Amino acid sequence: MNHQLNNAFTIFLSLLVEAMPFLLLGVLLSGLLLLFVDERKLVKAMPRNPILGALVGSLMGFLFPVCECGNVPVARRLLMLGVPVPVAIGFLLAAPTINPIVIWATWTAFREQWEIVVLRIVFSLLIATIVGWVFSTQRDPRPLLQATVARSMPRLEIVDKPVMADDKPMLLQSGTFLLGQAGQPRRMDASVLQASLLASSTKKPLPDRLNLFLENTVQELRELGGVLVLGSAIAAIIQAFVPRDLILGLGQGPVTSIAAMMLLATLISICSTVDSFFALSFASTFTSGSLLAFLVFGPMINFKGIGLLFSVFRTKTVIYLIALPALLTFFLTLLVNLYVS
Amino acid sequence: MSAKSSGLKPKGNVWAKSFLFSLLDVFAITAWGALLLKYWQTGSLNLLIHPDYFWLAIVTAVVLVLLGTLKAIQLLLTLSQRLSPRGKARNRAKLPSPVVSGHYSLFPPGWSAALLLATAILGFMVTPKVFASQTANQRGVADAITMTRSQPQAFHSSQRPEDRSLIDWVRTLNVYPEPDGYTGQKVKVQGFVVYPNEPPLPDQYILISRFVITCCAADAYPVGLPVKLDQDRKNYAPDTWLEIEGQMITETLAGKRQLTIQASSLKNIPQPENPYYY
Repeated sequence: MNHQLNNAFTIFLSLLVEAMPFLLLGVLLSGLLLLFVDERKLVKAMPRNPILGALVGSLMGFLFPVCECGNVPVARRLLMLGVPVPVAIGFLLAAPTINPIVIWATWTAFREQWEIVVLRIVFSLLIATIVGWVFSTQRDPRPLLQATVARSMPRLEIVDKPVMADDKPMLLQSGTFLLGQAGQPRRMDASVLQASLLASSTKKPLPDRLNLFLENTVQELRELGGVLVLGSAIAAIIQAFVPRDLILGLGQGPVTSIAAMMLLATLISICSTVDSFFALSFASTFTSGSLLAFLVFGPMINFKGIGLLFSVFRTKTVIYLIALPALLTFFLTLLVNLYVS
Repeated sequence: MSAKSSGLKPKGNVWAKSFLFSLLDVFAITAWGALLLKYWQTGSLNLLIHPDYFWLAIVTAVVLVLLGTLKAIQLLLTLSQRLSPRGKARNRAKLPSPVVSGHYSLFPPGWSAALLLATAILGFMVTPKVFASQTANQRGVADAITMTRSQPQAFHSSQRPEDRSLIDWVRTLNVYPEPDGYTGQKVKVQGFVVYPNEPPLPDQYILISRFVITCCAADAYPVGLPVKLDQDRKNYAPDTWLEIEGQMITETLAGKRQLTIQASSLKNIPQPENPYYY
């Protein structure tokens, strides 16, 4: 027991130490994107055609190389900027896989099974595009989003007074409060901050923009870091206390191996930049299809990230975002198991 | 600084609260930077992640400390501005853009930062431990693994057998699996003792093992070879680190022909600074 606790703690820390740099990179990149790129031009350039939009969104990982710790903040920001839904969903699902760092890592790991590298890219693009296209039936993204994120959408006028939606005293409301104000304090949180950054990013002088950049980085790092801690803890506990045999024993056949690997991918929550090395250690015992399932589905949906999804999307949206990629991954990789290998 | 003791009006109270939350952010972020630096300095990074990713952790540590420091400076500035009467006006002039209510976080305010801070403090208090035999058993020691990644630099068929490390042996075995092909070759390997429970080995045998990590401790998996002793294994408790010399033989263990080390000398060694293979 004591021993397993020790193990769980070591795994927990190793996941955090491994993921923290990528989280930081994601947060910094999304902040830089916010302050120094004129996103409105980028948004205008986005194709309105749903399928094309979803494909372009899926390929945007090349512009913003984030792993799955960093894609949610960027996707959230894209939505708040008014990017069409298919573009944002395509980005959300594909960016952790379709970016130079991850492709390079996968190639390093599977040099001798190049079909895994190619199929990983093709399947991720295909699934992200299809799911993005499905979401295009919803033109107005606001019903998909958590109320607070929806309220920060650009087309909505930002309320220009510090009055809260309800009359509760400020102290009783949850939230983060902005410091340094002599009069009425103002509640501040990351989505709000981004909305205000948005309104001001191109007009403000550089020192103010840097100040906001610092504020934004600290906010996102804290919020996403907290979720990362929880997710890593769950992944570590499962790894240390559930015998791997139980998970691995589920899968030798073409169907069960895929199911087992998708489950493992969700539980382990390993960063997409390094998950191919992890999958490599199963290369001798598992079907190619199941390895692909691990590599395609893991970066899209995992324990670490589900919490982040809930911070942006409503429950129903999250269920679709999990179910659709899961079914598509299962179907595509089953084809590989049955007809290719 | 407690809101009550400061005796401020309600709005000052809120100000104090938000000051405390920001202070918590500073501590959480700086503590994580410091923890990563500590792991780097004490060599604990070895136990957690693959050396290829050390630089990432180190750069992150520096950036986090920097962020924490900047945030702290910002806080001190606002504090001093607030305390000086002239600053108030300036402050008001600098009010940020309008704000809407609501919060997207899953956590109540302060929790997220507190969680991060608590984890960092825990990290300072509890030293990560290297995995041991019990984990090896739980994860199943493999003697035939597919390791395509680092083979080119680590695998030399011209290597003298006694220069091969445990992982070299396992990789070689993976390429040429016939145990008889190695009979009589000299062996000198280091690793820790495992009494495997699946399948169990007779009392005269132990498994000499090492963990291999490809990215971080979360994906560590054990590799190992059986060792035949000329006595009962109880003198070599699980998790003891040994340097074993001997020669290769083929034994039938648990119904399977296996490459086995016939030990001629077993020497206790301290746990290596870097216990994993890559």
